[in-house]
Amino acid sequence: MLRLVDTSEVETGLVDRFLSLVRDLAVPVMTDAGAELVSCAAAPPGLGEPVCVEVVWEVADFETWNGIRRALVLDPRWYEYGSAASALRSGGRRRFVVPVPWSPRPAPAPPAG
Amino acid sequence: MLRRFETYALAPGASGDAVDRLESAMRCCAAHIPEVLDSAVGWNGSDAPVQLVWEHAFADPAAYRRYMAHPFHATVLDRFILQDSPECVVAPDTLGAGLVGYQLTSPRYRLSSGLRRLVLLRLDAAASPGAWGALGRRLAALVGEVAGMAVSVPAENTLGAAWFDGETPVGPPPRWTHLWEQGFTSSAALAQYLAGGHELAAVERAGTEGWRQWSGGMVRRTAEVHYGIVGPGG
Repeated sequence: MLRLVDTSEVETGLVDRFLSLVRDLAVPVMTDAGAELVSCAAAPPGLGEPVCVEVVWEVADFETWNGIRRALVLDPRWYEYGSAASALRSGGRRRFVVPVPWSPRPAPAPPAG
Repeated sequence: MLRRFETYALAPGASGDAVDRLESAMRCCAAHIPEVLDSAVGWNGSDAPVQLVWEHAFADPAAYRRYMAHPFHATVLDRFILQDSPECVVAPDTLGAGLVGYQLTSPRYRLSSGLRRLVLLRLDAAASPGAWGALGRRLAALVGEVAGMAVSVPAENTLGAAWFDGETPVGPPPRWTHLWEQGFTSSAALAQYLAGGHELAAVERAGTEGWRQWSGGMVRRTAEVHYGIVGPGG
């Protein structure tokens, strides 16, 4: 099992727009491609720093991710999401992680909407 | 073998540190993915709208598929180049040469040091394979005619469409149907060729219109990138 963890830094005033973008565009694009949304979480606002938004996806393995990446690259909506997300965030990072054997596996997030 | 090029325009505002990490990931990729052969990174010196070029090769499509699914590819390289990644430092591809490449039977492209040049060609859709064959043979012959030209490999851009597995076209056909890979012993050698009296140099100086006339209308559009190749010790 493999998790893709995208952490974005978003200015407080843009967080709602960023979260809507994730819900309305990233989730359908990624799930149509074969990834499963594990969680979407945001840091509390008002801390005097950009808000950290963490989106976690789950895929079976790197072979599966390769097929998902193919679907993403061929999906015009993915480019739309990438461009819009880039305009809203001020930084961030992307990491793939593998849950350790003793880690509980959280239930998948319910469908958006 | 599969010969492959990735070209990238840097995103406005991309930090130098992040771009350095992308370049470093490309440079050290073969240490993590042994299927990656003859890997070199360069900075484009032409006016084409790309800055970073990564050239490399694979022994066969099976090796290419192992590279595509390798964890280093997904976790490190793609971190900087996939458009949805929070760490993406590249802009959308406007040149239409984000990924191009061709098949060949031996590594005739090898250049230990000097200047690499990749001429991108768009041939008329009605051009016959036979007509391209004759044109390609003429381009290949330049390696024995032009002083300082060490490599001249014309080929169909088969990887532009078959980028997923190296064999099966996916998505639309590539903007650049053919490639002309060149290697020069130095940047001065390239400059001498382009300024010189060779028939093809005159064609190139005349730009796309020169190509159209020389090829009888077969070549419809051209572009080029060139960059220095640093040897393994450099």
